[in-house]
Amino acid sequence: MDQTQYHHPLRRLLLRLHERFKPTKNKSIALVRRRKALLSLLTRHLRSINILLFLVGYLWMLSLPLSYLSRGTYIDENALQPSQVNTYWNWGDVHTADRYLEHLERLRDMNATSDQRAEFFLSEFQKLGILSYIQKYRFSASGMDGTNVYASLASPRGPGTEAMIISASWLSRTGEGDGTLNLRGVSTVLALANFLKGYSLWAKDIIFVVSDGYLDGMHAWLNSYHDVSQSNLIRDNLMISSGVIWTALNIDYPGHSFSHLGVYFEGLNGRLPNQDLINCFSRISRFTGGVPVVLYDHVDSAKLYTKVASWVPSVILNHVDLKSYFSRLQNIFRHFSYQVQGRPSGVHGLFHRFRIDAFTVYAFPASGPHGFHAIGRIVESTLRTMNNLLERLHASFFFYMLTDHDQFMKIGSYLPSAIFISVALMVQGLQVWVSASYLRRKIMTSEKAVSTKENWLKRKRPVTPILAIVLGTYAVGGLLFLSMETSLSYSNNEKTLPYIALLFACLPLSLLAIPPYPEDDVAPLSSVLKAFNLCLASTVISIIVILNFSLAALLSLSLGITLPFSSSSMSIPMRLLKYIGYIILALSWVLWGSQLTTTAFWDWEILGGWFAPFVCIVYVPLVLQAGIVCLLPP
Amino acid sequence: MSSSKSPSPPNTLFLSLSFLFPALVIVRIALSTTGLPDILKNDHQLASPLTSFSQLQEGIYLFNHDIDPYSGGTFRHSPLYLALFTTILPTNQKLCSILWTSCDVIGAWALIQTWRQRQNVKDSPRDSLIAATYLLNPYVFLPTLALSTSTFENTLILLAFMFAAKGQKSATLLSIAFLINLSLSSILILPPILLVLITDPYSHLASPRPIAISSLKKTLPLLGEFLVYFAALIFASSIVSGGLSWISQTWGATLTLPDLTPNPGLWWYFFTEMFDHFRSFFLVVFSIHLLIYIAPICIKFQYDPLYAAFLLIGVLGTFKAYPTLSDPGLFLSLISLFPETYPYMNYPVVTALLHVHASLLLPLFHHLWLTTGTGNANFFYASTLVFACANGAALLDCIWSGLRIAIAQVPENYVVVQE
Repeated sequence: MDQTQYHHPLRRLLLRLHERFKPTKNKSIALVRRRKALLSLLTRHLRSINILLFLVGYLWMLSLPLSYLSRGTYIDENALQPSQVNTYWNWGDVHTADRYLEHLERLRDMNATSDQRAEFFLSEFQKLGILSYIQKYRFSASGMDGTNVYASLASPRGPGTEAMIISASWLSRTGEGDGTLNLRGVSTVLALANFLKGYSLWAKDIIFVVSDGYLDGMHAWLNSYHDVSQSNLIRDNLMISSGVIWTALNIDYPGHSFSHLGVYFEGLNGRLPNQDLINCFSRISRFTGGVPVVLYDHVDSAKLYTKVASWVPSVILNHVDLKSYFSRLQNIFRHFSYQVQGRPSGVHGLFHRFRIDAFTVYAFPASGPHGFHAIGRIVESTLRTMNNLLERLHASFFFYMLTDHDQFMKIGSYLPSAIFISVALMVQGLQVWVSASYLRRKIMTSEKAVSTKENWLKRKRPVTPILAIVLGTYAVGGLLFLSMETSLSYSNNEKTLPYIALLFACLPLSLLAIPPYPEDDVAPLSSVLKAFNLCLASTVISIIVILNFSLAALLSLSLGITLPFSSSSMSIPMRLLKYIGYIILALSWVLWGSQLTTTAFWDWEILGGWFAPFVCIVYVPLVLQAGIVCLLPP
Repeated sequence: MSSSKSPSPPNTLFLSLSFLFPALVIVRIALSTTGLPDILKNDHQLASPLTSFSQLQEGIYLFNHDIDPYSGGTFRHSPLYLALFTTILPTNQKLCSILWTSCDVIGAWALIQTWRQRQNVKDSPRDSLIAATYLLNPYVFLPTLALSTSTFENTLILLAFMFAAKGQKSATLLSIAFLINLSLSSILILPPILLVLITDPYSHLASPRPIAISSLKKTLPLLGEFLVYFAALIFASSIVSGGLSWISQTWGATLTLPDLTPNPGLWWYFFTEMFDHFRSFFLVVFSIHLLIYIAPICIKFQYDPLYAAFLLIGVLGTFKAYPTLSDPGLFLSLISLFPETYPYMNYPVVTALLHVHASLLLPLFHHLWLTTGTGNANFFYASTLVFACANGAALLDCIWSGLRIAIAQVPENYVVVQE
């Protein structure tokens, strides 16, 4: 046969591999040897593998703003056809909007009450011949009340089983509802009602909602529409209802004129709308309206960057890549800050609870050049696009991260960063678990003092007491949450919070009384608890990552960096010191973030946001467990 | 056989059965009287179309109004439920919650009795632990709170175990006849239970010995007795429902899968995706797949048929049509009967972690798919795959440790391999 075939290097390598891994003798022995070799290879490099996993995870997180991970947005649903229609909104309609605005300014100047304003909106809708009603609501817990007005334009071309919403809240989202009025947003909605009823091309009902307050009004209205009862909310039932709401557009136009349109899209509990909706709007705004689109109010994209890097030489500072990195970083930070807290970034976020895709158009206040003319045309064209939908938005992405108005990251390009950290924690947890069951002992021989020989003593791992401790920490978390909730909702006194936190921080100190195990054949509680702690932290991160990536990223930073370092020590002061460190990590938010805490609990009480219970019932117990690892005897 | 644990700790009174069992029962009854049943009642993971309380109520309503509940295709419960709930059992939801919880209590009590029989002791310090593993197992108590009729099936299985362990032949066979009438796929545990009846319930895992072939003849009269009970129940069911149409609607549903409502099992997604012309073939494959486990497991564990029955319950929990969480839950709780195998388990921590992941992912992905609408069916299916992995891992580890215990401890540097 052809001899050269055997001399081919690849062939030789294959033969050698075959000999090594498949000897012809006893198969079982070979199997055991192979398994042993593989295991010892793994265990020898376990530490470096672990460090590598952590490194890859954190480096990936740092590189999220790199342009290589983002890609351009595109329209996925063919039916949408954005920016393909002639718009009819004209200067006459701008004039109508101006007249509405005059009325609204008069109402503002005379400090009109909610009811007076609502009467005005109602009468204007009725003048247009659109069926409209008033809804009053009151939150019994915080005493917030107000009056919403809603009007429904029945679809001339459809059975009225589907609807889309145009809404504006009385308060603008400026400063997360700091009291700036959304006068022009509301007048746009009124003028649009006047304008849209003149056309017969609507295949879906159009519902106009002018909600009172910032988030509270729309929350009450949506609860009524979907007949969801909430114990602390007293509200009128709606007099008219339409079909299923598919999409909603919230208009926020606080200034005199605007230079850019900003997009806000984060919903309650981190839910995002279908990306097609945002992409369509972005295209329509640029090509139909001629208005540049930005994310949030990030018009000056490098603001953060120049603030941070004022000492960097201008040659590097003005480098294009670095500039774009920081502009993306700024967008990602803003996104994280909304999604972590599960706070809606505008009124649109409340719609997400009911599976309605919605976003807020924010007219960035500037001295020019755009006004009612541009926003009217853009909203009209966007409505036409939404009108084209034949089924609920489903084609494009629900899990994404917008890094720029026309750039986004797919789930596959950001998810692995947190997963790597989670896997690293799991690997370390399992390693601690396995090594807890062995104790390395020098063999003492009578002749020589210590022989060089060592053997491994197998020992039991106490699981039941550890399970009790773990469940105990969750009970502490639950109690912490309940006591904070009652303290905030009844006495409305945030000064008591630190004392509550301190009380719960002192509870585990009683575990100091546990004496160290005298026997060698039982693993110390602290190492078994550490194994459980790391595995649980890993589980929480990898589960949350799908639901709310920002939260998972924050957890993998706060837990991934700190939990692996928990360990017990011989001296009591050292143990206490470490414990205090973990307690600061677990509970210090009560001290420095009292504003944040009250907001989070407000979100929970009123809107049903999960951030406050999550922190108390999931995050605090995990860090507390690490603290207890330090408290327990070695 | 029993692995005698270290002497009981000082706080025996607190952990003693007479204190802990009533405490657990009180906790469970308190839970059942809360508003939880209303929230959980229609959860896909806790109640399948074959076990859902809403469907049962609908069937009872139709039955009371002289409409054949089996003509519609929504009611798939056994006629025995109709007979019982229209006569002696309450249909009021509050009373039902308590009835369901007391079924669990009976189940836990039967589990303790089985344990005592297996150890051949009057009482043991592990009793309360065993009661707790059943009464506090979330996979068991959540379906009970959701008023899923799988609770009755579990209780019947546990009663069958108890009677078999006590050697009460007729009672065992009657409970199994009831069980199979309620859920056809439970037929898997009939052969090993018959074997328990002709041998003994004690643990022979550590000292395997072949069962005498001649003694197998003794199962024939038992099988005959079972068939008599079974036929009587079929007759009763037919009289209650006024015909044989119930058979295709109840037992037929487990074989032909007419309702593709999502559940934590493996069948629904597979048959949602399947082209119609392959459907009947794969229905046969899936049904026979369940049956092929009976013979090998019964032969391999012929010296300890109770363990074989336990393993087959694990097979059911992993692979049966229309499972709810209570099917794998029963398997996990039953692990507490066999502490002698614990030291030989390969990866209990991995199994536990898989179950933690699965039990968090299932409700989460269900929520993403059906509530927020950002996910889709594939999400939930993926989580049921994780759940199946967790159940499979538990089952495989139990098979391994049940076999491995016979070899006992090996000297250092020796390894046990399977060839």
